[in-house]
Amino acid sequence: MSEERKRSRLWPALMAVAVLAAALALAACGGDDDTVGGGGNDDVETAQAGPVRGDLTISNWPGYIDPGNNGTIAEFQEETGVNVNYIEDINDNEAFFGKVQPQLEQGQSGGRSIFVLTDWMAKQMYDLGYLQEIDHDDLSTVFQNMLPSLESPAFDPERRFSVPWQSGMTGVWVDTAKAPNIRSVNDLFDPQYRGQVTMLTEMRDTVPLVMKGDGVDPAEATNEDWMNTIDKIKQAADTGQIRRFTGNDYTEDLTAGNVVAAIGWSGDASLIGNDNAEWRMPAQGCMLWSDNMVIPVGAPNTAAALGFMDFVYEPQVQADITEYVNYVSPVDGVKDILANRDAALANDQLIFPSAEFQRNCSTQDSPPDIEPVNEAWQDVITG
Amino acid sequence: MRQRRVPYWLLGPGLLWLFIFFVVPMYFMGELALRSGSLTTGFAFDWAWSNFPDSLSGNTEQILRSVYYAGVATILALLIAYPLAYAIAFRAGRFKLLLLFAVIAPFFTTYLIRTIAWKTILSDSSPIVDVLQTLALVPEDGRVLATSGAVIAGLTYNFLPFMILPLYANLERLDLRLIEAARDLYSSSRQAFLRVTLPLTMPGIVAGVLLTFIPAFGDYINAQLLGGTQQAMVGNVIQSLYLTQRDYPEAAALSFLMMALILAVVTLYIRFAGTGAFMGDADEGKA
Amino acid sequence: MAALSRPWAWLRRNGLPIYAGFAVAYMLIPIVVIAVFSFGDTPRDRLTFGLDDGFTLEYWESAFAIRELNDALFTSLRLAALSTVVSTVLGTLMALALVRHRFRARRAANLLIVIPMATPEVVIGAALLSMFIYYTLALGFTTLLIAHIMFSISFVVVVVRSRLIGFDRSLEEAAADLGATPFTAFRTVTLPLLAPGIMAAALLAFALSIDDFVISNFNSGIEVTFPLYVYGVSLRGIPVQVNVLATMLFAVTVLAIALVLVQQRRAERLAARVSEPQQPPIPAPGAAATS
Repeated sequence: MSEERKRSRLWPALMAVAVLAAALALAACGGDDDTVGGGGNDDVETAQAGPVRGDLTISNWPGYIDPGNNGTIAEFQEETGVNVNYIEDINDNEAFFGKVQPQLEQGQSGGRSIFVLTDWMAKQMYDLGYLQEIDHDDLSTVFQNMLPSLESPAFDPERRFSVPWQSGMTGVWVDTAKAPNIRSVNDLFDPQYRGQVTMLTEMRDTVPLVMKGDGVDPAEATNEDWMNTIDKIKQAADTGQIRRFTGNDYTEDLTAGNVVAAIGWSGDASLIGNDNAEWRMPAQGCMLWSDNMVIPVGAPNTAAALGFMDFVYEPQVQADITEYVNYVSPVDGVKDILANRDAALANDQLIFPSAEFQRNCSTQDSPPDIEPVNEAWQDVITG
Repeated sequence: MRQRRVPYWLLGPGLLWLFIFFVVPMYFMGELALRSGSLTTGFAFDWAWSNFPDSLSGNTEQILRSVYYAGVATILALLIAYPLAYAIAFRAGRFKLLLLFAVIAPFFTTYLIRTIAWKTILSDSSPIVDVLQTLALVPEDGRVLATSGAVIAGLTYNFLPFMILPLYANLERLDLRLIEAARDLYSSSRQAFLRVTLPLTMPGIVAGVLLTFIPAFGDYINAQLLGGTQQAMVGNVIQSLYLTQRDYPEAAALSFLMMALILAVVTLYIRFAGTGAFMGDADEGKA
Repeated sequence: MAALSRPWAWLRRNGLPIYAGFAVAYMLIPIVVIAVFSFGDTPRDRLTFGLDDGFTLEYWESAFAIRELNDALFTSLRLAALSTVVSTVLGTLMALALVRHRFRARRAANLLIVIPMATPEVVIGAALLSMFIYYTLALGFTTLLIAHIMFSISFVVVVVRSRLIGFDRSLEEAAADLGATPFTAFRTVTLPLLAPGIMAAALLAFALSIDDFVISNFNSGIEVTFPLYVYGVSLRGIPVQVNVLATMLFAVTVLAIALVLVQQRRAERLAARVSEPQQPPIPAPGAAATS
């Protein structure tokens, strides 16, 4: 009996040692890097142009293109013969980055030839060496028709790696039937709306917007300003003032009547099934952003990708997109086309905002020292 | 001679798969936990043991909350499941299979979809919430969604089958004559239950509790969909750290700690009752 | 006295079944909701879970209209099929070894099989991701498949094992007595009798794979499975087709299980009839008279 006991006691220990040894052996025969990660190589490729054909895979945000058999994708396929695989898998810049980063690190794009990312994320990827550069000569239509205001943004002054897809504004959606008096970001901190307010998880939307409510200019904000604002938001979250931090799903809360106000994006009207919901320009101004098409490293068929970019910059095509998506088009001349189709759309300030309308708005920017701010923010939104 | 090697050949492929894709990744997770750095600078291996206590202290609230939510959900599931399993095992007659099936049926709609369904059913303007308000289970100006209650309710619902099935398996094998014998010996039905049924079904209860508590502890979907800013669980933190913040060392350290916690509980139980009992038969442990 | 005890007695007798009825109804609520709302006529092609706009069959007719949804569902089905086959084979072999043989590493093997079931999905997904990151492997269908097979094996082992434990060896011994080699006996006697258990295990593996979200979320890279697709669109408004397909999936699974159960019933009934003693022949009228 004791002999058996001794043996059975030894076995687990032996097994554990064997396991560890095997694991170490496996570790030794893979990954010679002592450091994992750290950005790609230094040479940046330029996307190759060429005949537009073959297969093309695009990753985009949901609801960002006119769908169906008469939609833009179908048109493009018909005109060029390119077989397009259009995937709406981007719901959050950071989350998408997390998904594709391991591959991009290896110089692979996972079969995608185009991503659509917000300005700052495009810059982040470029800085890490994950994007290819774009030769302006290959995109004649694009640079002919691009709105002048978008030609030289701060994050990509020479438009080397990004081509705007759509632009938009971050402001406050309000259920006018239940809370008609909300006109500023600060109203979201009003105790009478406790638990009926949501904010976006996107740090560069929410925090600067709240900052502006306090009179701070995000473009000149110091790290301390960022941290203070994050603190303010954290307190509101802890007391239950803020119900949730949302991604695109704030539209669901508005539809279901769970909230009376939400920080949200200007073009989402079609997604909110609440006739009383209205996007309002906050009293202290909104946040401006654009989403951009970028070509990742290792993208197959960059020729078709470039062809697609050119295609969507044709005013007629762009008009179709804007009509469905209701965001701000980067292409010149769309307003006139839409004026003929639907006068209401052409006069919609949310789709064709005047400079006057946007006078107090700021563009998205990153804090001076990103890491501690990011960490603090993640703490707040994770709960 | 060949006879003795047969089991190893049979076990080989499966065990190898489990080893390579379960055990080894655990090692890598541990290894990752000892690195430090960031995505932009790279993660260098430098025996960063501090990651473990740091991740623990930075997320204590979520860990405790997870224990609390999972614990309450498990207890609720047990309370709901035991009479149900009992009813199916002994009172169902012809409908036994049908009922069993009805119980497992939720499994066949995607976990996400049924949780989203609950999110809609419990939304502020839904009639069900109105009913709950009239019944005073929910305060007049209160809500169900984005509260701890909603998350616990979601956890309970989603893991109920995990509680019902082991209980049922155990109850089904219960020899009713033992209860009869107890009644013959003048015990009341309550005594019979407490003294005979309950102890005999203990293995099922423990299996059910473990199979419910552990996944519930690590769940993050319910907290994300049904909860608000104050309901984040450990799973949410780990997911955020891995996929959004890409702070792999802290993420790995926290996962490791979570894993260790659960392993401790399970090992204790296995030591106590033998793996056979965990796997569902009472007499294998003695082998 | 008697008047009080009657309703009480009625309650004691029927309380349990009534409770069971409520409990089962509670379990089925979301399923009903999903099915009902797949018929909802919503103004914006996105689910509002509101029936004010009436019923329509339009989404059932256009159930396969959304390409990404179809692709995701197809990916999930492919993944589930492959993962089921591999994990069922591996798991069945392991179950056979564990039940039929005595060997030294049994405890350790048991442990290795049981622990994955006791590990939260977050940890499994995260650990696998850690390994894939270390080896800088591309995440995609293959990594998903690996993960799915891994977490299915343990469940297959448990199911087949429990079936094996109650197995009547005498049938196999009879086959051996009749001259069958162990392999033939296995093929013609054991396997068919084990079939329902293996089928149940396979169904479980299939369900686990189709349903998996957490582990897939960590290890899919850019591959999109059905649950991942639902997660993505849930943030922006679920197309009604999702509910339609979910209901369809549910119905198909129900049918599959029903078929398996019917088969099982039939097999059992057949076995019972075969082993019934022959009826004695009716005695001739003359013979009865003589006794």
